[in-house]
Amino acid sequence: MMLEAVELTKQFKQTKVVNGVNLYLEKGEIVGLLGPNGAGKSTTISMISTLIPPTSGDVRLNNKSVIKEPSKLRKVLGVVPQEIALYSDLSAKENLQFFGRIHRLSGARLQKKVDEILEQIGLTDRQNDLVKHFSGGMKRRLNIGVALLHEPEFIIMDEPTVGIDPQSRNYILETVKRLNEEKQMTVLYTSHYMEEVEFLCDRIYIMDKGSIIASGTKEEIKNILSSENTVEMKVEKVQEPFIDALRLQPVVNHVTVQDRVITILAPKEINVFRLLFKLAEETNTVFTSVEIKTPTLEDVFLHLTGRALRD
Amino acid sequence: MMSILAAKIRLFIRKPWMFVITSIICIFIAFIIGTANQDKIKVPVYSSLSKHETNELLHSLQHSDLFAFQLMNQEKVRTLVSEGKVEAGVKLKKDDFDLIVSSQTANTSLIRQYVQKVYREKKQTEKIAEHSNAPLEEVAKVVNNATANPVFTLEKKSFRGKKAIIIDSQLQPIFGFSLFFVIYTIAFNVFQILKEKREGIWDRMILSPLKKWEMYIGNLIYSFVVGYIQVALIFTVFHFGMDIDFHGRFAEMLLLLVPYVFAIVALSIFIVGLVKNEQQFNAIIPLISVSMAMIGGAYWPLEIVSSKVLLTLSKFVPVTYGMEMLKGAAIYGNSLNDLLYPISILFFMGVVLMGIGINLVERRNV
Ligand SMILES: Nc1ncnc2c1ncn2[C@@H]1O[C@H](COP(=O)(O)OP(=O)(O)O)[C@@H](O)[C@H]1O
Ligand SMILES: [Mg+2]
Repeated sequence: MMLEAVELTKQFKQTKVVNGVNLYLEKGEIVGLLGPNGAGKSTTISMISTLIPPTSGDVRLNNKSVIKEPSKLRKVLGVVPQEIALYSDLSAKENLQFFGRIHRLSGARLQKKVDEILEQIGLTDRQNDLVKHFSGGMKRRLNIGVALLHEPEFIIMDEPTVGIDPQSRNYILETVKRLNEEKQMTVLYTSHYMEEVEFLCDRIYIMDKGSIIASGTKEEIKNILSSENTVEMKVEKVQEPFIDALRLQPVVNHVTVQDRVITILAPKEINVFRLLFKLAEETNTVFTSVEIKTPTLEDVFLHLTGRALRD
Repeated sequence: MMSILAAKIRLFIRKPWMFVITSIICIFIAFIIGTANQDKIKVPVYSSLSKHETNELLHSLQHSDLFAFQLMNQEKVRTLVSEGKVEAGVKLKKDDFDLIVSSQTANTSLIRQYVQKVYREKKQTEKIAEHSNAPLEEVAKVVNNATANPVFTLEKKSFRGKKAIIIDSQLQPIFGFSLFFVIYTIAFNVFQILKEKREGIWDRMILSPLKKWEMYIGNLIYSFVVGYIQVALIFTVFHFGMDIDFHGRFAEMLLLLVPYVFAIVALSIFIVGLVKNEQQFNAIIPLISVSMAMIGGAYWPLEIVSSKVLLTLSKFVPVTYGMEMLKGAAIYGNSLNDLLYPISILFFMGVVLMGIGINLVERRNV
């Protein structure tokens, strides 16, 4: 079983929102699609799940195009939308029953499936409460549960953890892991949180401004930065002249300042410490700490785009 | 499709308030306006006759749709007339009556005519009784029967033609306000399509084995049924609760609602196809329903409108044909055949608007 997107492109009016995206999912993987807001992730997902037609390019299931004949894919695909797509005036159980029925489940089979999913998403105790009285995390969990009713082989999740507390977030991440391990479900996990993708995913696509700018396993992607170190300096007071001086150095890449933390990228082969201390002394900057950090996906994104993943 | 209907019914039971409140408001307003117009003109009466004779005469007088005769003493009657609180009073005598007026008005001559008629009928009955030796009550019964079932009836219909106007001040507001309020109920329910699209519920249904047409038909049938039940319920309350008989054509009323409710469902999906969001929809619905109600003769009868522009505009409004159908059947006594024109216009509007509306909704990315 393989699901792939080939040169997917979507143009709204004049702007290409998704531009030549290639991506594949193989049975049993968890694949991450990481990118900042507005990168085109949701649009890509909508095209892959046959909800909107691509301007050009193709979506293939086992090498057969599904654009003209989407029902084959729809049968094996579960989609967790970015918004909470539930009836807020129905209870959790009633929502599952409704969406189960439209997937042609009924009677004892429906009942069993609903109970099983309530268990999986940890809402058995609250099954009779109306969705509108749920916390954000509980809504998100039910949003996922509804997509599991027809036992799909592929599940595509669009930012399933936006706007919820860390505890609910961990619960969801664990649930996704469990679905993958116990049911061999293939997952495409979309997020702009790099930690989530790093925790969950075997392979990762990084998307920005409509294009995939990097892809591969975590290690492969981080190797993009193998030639550079990330140096993090904490200072007592941020001096503008110091920042300016850093920016003028040809060996220093991507200077970012956040509160009293200054982060730079610099080639590994150069001993950048001497340079940093010299510049600090010249500009009366006092360090409280200086350290070299192992690169994160965030750093990769910074390296590739010159911008932070989150705004 | 059944699953959609089942879910909608469950949602309705959970939140019936909008339906209940609009129904109650509608009944209330139609009732108030209907009875306000229904007020009879008060005519105070005093009598020089025995109690028995007075009561008998009063009983005959009370058959008027226009006047309410109330017995009081002479003093009171004269004061009421002289103070102008009533237009006329009546003194009942054996074979004749006095009309007490302070000035001649259109109503005073109507009152005179009416009382004269009652006296004439009384005399007629008494005459027959004299000659036949039959008890008075028996004769009265026979005479009444004869008037109700005459040997000859004149077919007056052809003379009435287009010009004849009948304004039923009780049915007019019942029809008008139920056709008006149901627009809100239907539009609100049809709008749920757009809401479910925006919330992503629609996408979930698209990805399921449900067919597109099932999604539309499920939603539209539900909106139709809720709208239909609302008007039927309002009519039923008036029919059984307040004894309004729709001139014996209650069943036809329920049947004639079908094309109107269908047209409003179609109009709603058309509007849903035009608006961009909920705010726009909430702004445009009162605008459209109120102007349609005004133009289509739901607030006041179109029969009293003479403006050419308004009458031309009314041809494009489903409310016009809805009113025409209901009033045609109940008030003017038209047969179903005579009503074929408004019925087919409504079905035509319905089919066209629904076709365009669904296309518009389908085409838009929400
Ligand atoms: N229907 C649409 N019409 C026009 N522009 C759109 C439409 N949908 C999305 N966009 C634009 O496409 C870009 C990518 O959106 P989206 O795919 O939602 O990004 P992401 O999910 O990564 O945040 C955004 O700039 C958005 O404004
Ligand atoms: Mg998105």
